[in-house]
Order: sequence, then C-alpha cells, then structure tokens
Amino acid sequence: MSKTIITVDDAATMRKMISFTLKGAGHEVLEAADGVEALKTLQTRAVDMVITDVNMPNMDGLTLTRSLRALPQFARTPIVLLTTESAPEKKAEGKAAGATGWIVKPFQQDQLLAVVAKVLGP
Amino acid sequence: MPTNEELQKQLIQDLLVESNEGLDRFDREMLALEKGQATPDTPNIIFRVIHTIKGTAGCLGLSKIESVAHVGENLLSLLREGKVTVTPPLISTLLAYADALRAMLSSLRDEGNEGSEDYSALLKQLQDLQAASSATSTETIPAPQAAAPVAAPAALPQGWGLFDDEPAPATPAATPVLSEAVAPAPVIERAPVVAPVTAHAPTGTPATSHPPGEGGARATSAADTAIRVNVEQLDKLMNLVGELVLARNQIVQHSALIQDNSLIAASQRLNIITTELQESVMKTRMQPIGNVWAKFPRIVRDVAGELGKKVQLVMEGNETELDRTIIEAIKDPLTHIIRNAIDHGIETPEVRRGGGKPDEGLLILRAFHEGGQVNIEIMDDGRGINISRVKEKALQRALITADQSARMSDREAFNLIFLPGFSTAEKVTNLSGRGVGMDVVKTNIEKIGGSVDLLSEANAGTTIKIKIPLTLAIIPALIVTSGRERFAIPQVSLLELVRLEAEQARKGIEKLYGAPVYRLRGQLLPLVYLNKELELGGASSTGGAVDEAVNIVVLQADGRQFGMVVDEINDTEEIVVKPLGKQLKGLACFAGATIMGDGRVALILDVVGLAQHAQVIREVRDRSMTEKHKGDARASERQTLLLFDVGEGAQMAIPLSMVARLEEFPRSQIERSGAHEVVQYRGQILPLVRVSDYVRTVAETSASGTDLMQVVVYSEQGRSIGLVVGSINDIVEEAVTVKRDSAHDGILGSAVIQNRVTDLLDVAAVIRSADPSFYSSSRTPVGLAA
Repeated sequence: MSKTIITVDDAATMRKMISFTLKGAGHEVLEAADGVEALKTLQTRAVDMVITDVNMPNMDGLTLTRSLRALPQFARTPIVLLTTESAPEKKAEGKAAGATGWIVKPFQQDQLLAVVAKVLGP
Repeated sequence: MPTNEELQKQLIQDLLVESNEGLDRFDREMLALEKGQATPDTPNIIFRVIHTIKGTAGCLGLSKIESVAHVGENLLSLLREGKVTVTPPLISTLLAYADALRAMLSSLRDEGNEGSEDYSALLKQLQDLQAASSATSTETIPAPQAAAPVAAPAALPQGWGLFDDEPAPATPAATPVLSEAVAPAPVIERAPVVAPVTAHAPTGTPATSHPPGEGGARATSAADTAIRVNVEQLDKLMNLVGELVLARNQIVQHSALIQDNSLIAASQRLNIITTELQESVMKTRMQPIGNVWAKFPRIVRDVAGELGKKVQLVMEGNETELDRTIIEAIKDPLTHIIRNAIDHGIETPEVRRGGGKPDEGLLILRAFHEGGQVNIEIMDDGRGINISRVKEKALQRALITADQSARMSDREAFNLIFLPGFSTAEKVTNLSGRGVGMDVVKTNIEKIGGSVDLLSEANAGTTIKIKIPLTLAIIPALIVTSGRERFAIPQVSLLELVRLEAEQARKGIEKLYGAPVYRLRGQLLPLVYLNKELELGGASSTGGAVDEAVNIVVLQADGRQFGMVVDEINDTEEIVVKPLGKQLKGLACFAGATIMGDGRVALILDVVGLAQHAQVIREVRDRSMTEKHKGDARASERQTLLLFDVGEGAQMAIPLSMVARLEEFPRSQIERSGAHEVVQYRGQILPLVRVSDYVRTVAETSASGTDLMQVVVYSEQGRSIGLVVGSINDIVEEAVTVKRDSAHDGILGSAVIQNRVTDLLDVAAVIRSADPSFYSSSRTPVGLAA
C-alpha cells in the first residue's frame, strides 16, 4: 500500500536519491531541506513516516524529532534518523529524542527499503 | 521514471554542483576563521559541508571521495567542539584538503572516475593535526566502514529493532504504525519530557496550532521564497521570450500599416507586456556577481602567500546582478586580472614600507550598474604601471613605432599592455606569466560586448575598469543593407557612421599598399567592402569607381578601428540573438542570426571575425611595422600636418602640434580692438590674423561662400591668436621633404603632399608681422622643425 513519507536532508542529492528509491517502491514522497522546512510542510500534510538527516542547518534532525514528538499527531509517527554519525552515544541521544530508528549512511537502496518496509508494513 | 543508471548519472551531477558550492562555502568560512572573523556557526558550516559530501558520496558508491572526506571530517568535528586550535598550518592543510576534494570531483566530472591521485600525504597531515589535538580529546568519529549496518537482529515487542540495543520485533511487518492501539509505548511516554525542548528550536516552534497561512507568513524561509530551477528551463524561457519579441515586432510593424484602431490598441498592449515579460525573464537569469567573487579571497590568499606579499581584499557590490552566461564569461578574465594585480601591482611589504605605505596592500573589487551596463573595477594601491618601461617593451617587440611611442598619451601607453604578445614581467612568474596575457583578458571581455580600460599612477596604484552588458540574449544593433541583404552590427563595436558624397568619396578614398583607406581626421582608416568580403555582388563590390555616396560604418575590433562600406544604413534596433546552426557555426564573420520585424532573417556580423577575415587588423599592424622599418631613418622628419587652403589653388600646411584648436566663427562675431580684428573666445579676446594678408596668394576664397570663418587657434606662452584661413582640408601624417625656396615672406618652403604642391606656413613670421608684440618675451623662434 502506498504511504506518504517525508525525507528531510540539507543535501538535495541525498533527498533525490531517497525520494527516487521510495517512489520506486510506490510511496509518495515529500521533501524538506531542514527541520524548519519539514515542520512547515507537516503543518499541512500528513505523513506515514519521517526520514531525517541529523546534521542540518536551521534545525537539526534531533530537534525536529523532539518537536514532532511534542505534537499529538506525530506522537506515534515513525521517525528514522539517517546519518553518517554512528557513535553509540549519538544513537542514544537519537533514541532519547524519540527517534524510531537509525540508518547509517552510506546505505544501499535495499537497506533503506528494508527499513521502510519494516516500519510501515508491506 | 529514469532508470537506475540514468539516476546515478543525474545524482552525480547534483553531487558535483552541491559539493562544489559547499567547498566554496568551506573556503570562505575557513578564511573567515583565519582572519578571526568567524561566527559561532562557522565551525558547524565547515563541518556540515564535508559531512554532506561524505554522506552523499558514500551513498553513490564514491568510496575514494568518501574516505578522504572522512579523514577531514574527524578533524573538523574536533574543530567544531573547540578541541583544535586554529593555526595557519591547520587552515592551509584544510584548504589543501578542500582542493583535493575538488580535484576528485573534477576528475569525476571530466573522466567519470575519482582520479588516481594519491592523497595519503595530505591525509597523514590531517591525521597528525588531529593527533596533536588528541592530548585534549581522543574522541573521533569511527570510519564509515566500521559503522553498524542498518538494523540489529534481536527484537523487543515495542521497538522496530532499528537501534542496536533494541532487538527487532518478531514480526515487524505486523506492527500497524499508525494505529493507536499498538503504538510504541516509549514514544508516548517520552513526549511530555521532550516537549520543552521545542522552545529552543532556532526558527520558531512548530506552528501547528496556527492556521497554516498565518504561521507560514511569519516564518518565511528561503525555501519558501526561492526555488531551484533548471538552467535549461531558464534558457528555454529566454528563447521563447525571444520568439515572442520577434512576433511582437512583426505585429507592431504590421499594425502600423493597417489602419485599424482596435488592432493598434491591442498591439500596443502586446508591445508593453512583451517588454515587461522580457525584462522579468531576463531577471530570472540574473545572478549576483558575488557568486564569481566568492572564490577570490582564496586566490588572493594563495597568490599573496606564494609571493610573500600581504594583501587585503575588499569587495563591494557583491549583490550586483548580471546574466549567468556573462558571469561564466568573466570568471577567468577577472581571476587573471587579480593575479596580475598581486603579482605585478602590489609590492612586497619591505618595498611598501620604504615607500611609506602600509605593509598590507589593498585590492578593491567593485561592481555596480550604470547605464544598462555592469561596471567592474579592480583597484590596487601598488606601484602602478611604469610608462617608460611599457613603451620600451612595446618598442622592443615592434608593437609600436618610435614615432608612435613619442606621441602616445599616457592612457594609450597603459593600454599597450593589452596588445597581444606583450608582457612586462621582468621574469615570467608561474602566477601571472602563463603565456596568456592581458590581451586574452581583453579579447574575452570584448567577445561578450564589453570593454576594458586601465588607469594607473606611479606608486599610487592601478585601476582596471571593465564594462559589460547585462545580457547577451537581446542586444541593440545597427541594421545595414549590403547586396540587398540585411545585416545586424552589434552596437558595442560601433564607433561612428560616415557618409561620403560621390565627390568626397572619389577624393577621400585612397589606396595604400593596394588596400583602400580613408583618412578620417588624419587617421588612416582601412576600409572593408562588405559586399566584397561576403561575395555578395552589388553596387560597391568593385571597391573603386564609385559614382554614388559611400556609407562607412566605423567599427572597433581588437582595439583597432576600421571602416566597413555598406550599401545602406537602416536603423538601430533591439535584436534577439539566435545562435547559428551547426553547419554555419564555423563561419567567423557571423555571430548569429536574428529575425527582423518583417519576418526575414538577418545575420549578425561578428566584427572581430570579419576584421580578421578581411585581414584588416593584421594589415594595419603589419603596415605600422613596415613603416617603422622603412621610416626609422626618417622618423624625425615625419610629422602630422594640418592642410588648409588660403586662396585660389594654394594649399598650405602647418604642423598639427602648433594647433591648439580648430574653430569656426560667424563673420558677424568679428569685433575690432585697435587696429586688430578680434573675436570673443572662451571669455578671452582672440586676435585674428588673416593669413592671406601675409602670404603672396590672392584673397581668401571662402569670403564669397559661407558666413563662417575657419580659424586655426595657435597658443604660445598662454597667449592665443587665431589664424583665419580659407578652408581646412585634412590632417595627414607625412615625411615631408621640404624644398627651401623661401623667397616669399611667411613661407618656410614647399613640399608635395597628397599630390599637391603645398607651402609650409611660417607661423612665427606671419604672427610677428601681424603683431610684433606677440612674441615680446619670445625666446623660441617658432617654425617648422624641418
């Protein structure tokens, strides 16, 4: 079943890559360049999943995660952090912020799809 | 939807653009850091650039870029945490590191791979710098290879198993994500705890409680007001607008013929809207010049460092906008000028100190709009251009003659450095003496319809002024007809229009070394017959035996002037430049094509190409050189003479150097002062001397003709006198052989000039006899040098 997913990353190339992968799997994809932009988009659009970079200007992924978790309608939306940072304490921080999961860049397309499938169901 | 392979290509394109932009930002922030002008965000920005490159490159399978990026990222991460002290070696190493990434990116662009360059030395340096700071911290970011893969194996019922310590659920797919009943408990529990954190979000809180419009209006971010548009899309838009402009021209022209009021009204509206649309679309293609300048601080730093000089770069008018095609075209010329300014202009600190200047040289870049053009000025406060050395060099290389050198104004002398084959550098440094000189700079700027000028003052500095058009797509042009074809000549290369009536043409157009020339105010103007050049056939194709008026379009190409003879001069018009098809692209004479109001195509002439095709530029140069060789011995005898008639059939000449001005006065202005005729001239009294009264000829001829008096103003020691002559004929540069037979008063001798016997007027003698007091304090007898 087609789901709506937002990808948040300051690197347009990365967004494109993720977007292509997810669209290929039949999902609808929204894009945002940073946390602030994502929050604005999410005011008007409902999504089934958030995939966000951690290190971004204006508002980073962790702050975005916390902000979304503070809103009732996003309390249970899966939020996956997608980042090159893989230090355990960073992950703990992500988890504490309310992230559902953590994907380390670089990733393969099927790895991304596997996570999405795991989170969203078939 | 694109295939995977196409996507990969496209993504790599995006990566290149994004990464290069990022690296420019990296450089900029690095330099700010070095100068102590960093903002608190600077280390973050620097880190993020590399971080992004690493992440994206990794996902695209570019492992070399990824691993190089990774090493720097470690160091930058420490920098961000304030665990590394900023030192000059650190900055230099990191800048070199950015260059290494750039090199790999260019290789990726040009060769399709990351290149075979070995960066281990650089990486070692980075690691050493990192190790040096490890005294304070041992924390590094693990290599991506070491990074844990996506998910971990084990599972807890509430999690998705996406954290290492969080086992995956037994049946992950079964978790209905959006169902409240089975929602992951931890998330809900955590929500109230993290709530206060949102208040710290930098750009405002999530405004979900506000109506979307209200919240959106307040926090308008760049992403809302600006979008990225493909350049091709813009080019296409511009093209379409061009077509629209052409169609508009046709309709406007047509509606003028049909006397229909409603059509005229509609076409006027169309006219206005099209013009506005054209302007708006042109604006979308505009980019601030700051985009080009962004890389200059780095260049200035590197060049100055290499030469042991100190240079402060000041940039003004970063936001000045111009068309993106022009931005591209000026990038290299500007870089070259800047290198030159630092290399040749600004002195070493020791020299500057000696000259009472601050150690640090000043280099100012300024850009601003003026009169529909963009002005760019590059100013330094260096040693200035040494005129005598420039002239010497130009003489040595036979670019000018000794005579030209002697008569040349300072301004002309400065502009010698733009001549091909000129280089003043005592020794060719690897920075600015790369075999391409300022001539290339000038050519490149002229190619886009710009101009370069140079001013310099010894020990005070040099200023280079560049003027370029805002856009290349729609340009003003002069429309001419030749051989029943119309051609457009870009207005920028146009100097003036000269029309010679049949009689004048017969007399005025001469042959010099077999080539037609016209003397325009004493300057030899080589002529090119457009009909002949393009083999069109038609009236003036013979180039001689003209029995009708001749239209000369005086053009400038490559810093030299020439006249182009055309059948008819039509009008000036805004034309839309269309590129030529690939079959015609190789023709140097044409710059493009345009569609005229009547729907017919007109070719746009490439003035430089045409001049080269007609060999008119090279000829002039060759000619001046042959004249130099021939004329060396006689050089001292060559002089510029003013030719005039005094009475019937007698041509006279005086050296142009004795002429202050040529004036025309109506006879009614003549007043008397004592025994003398005078006129009021620039608030002074100018005594008049009728030359015909003092030489043997009969009365001046023009007395019968016009009411205007031709006066040659002669000045000596602050005093002026007006010599009234019959008519001014010409100015020539000749090596005159004077036959001395001065049996007559007021005549120094005679010579044959332009096939006419010409008397050389003894100005001093004439004036002395007219006004003995004029030379009262005179020590220098005035006369012909001959």
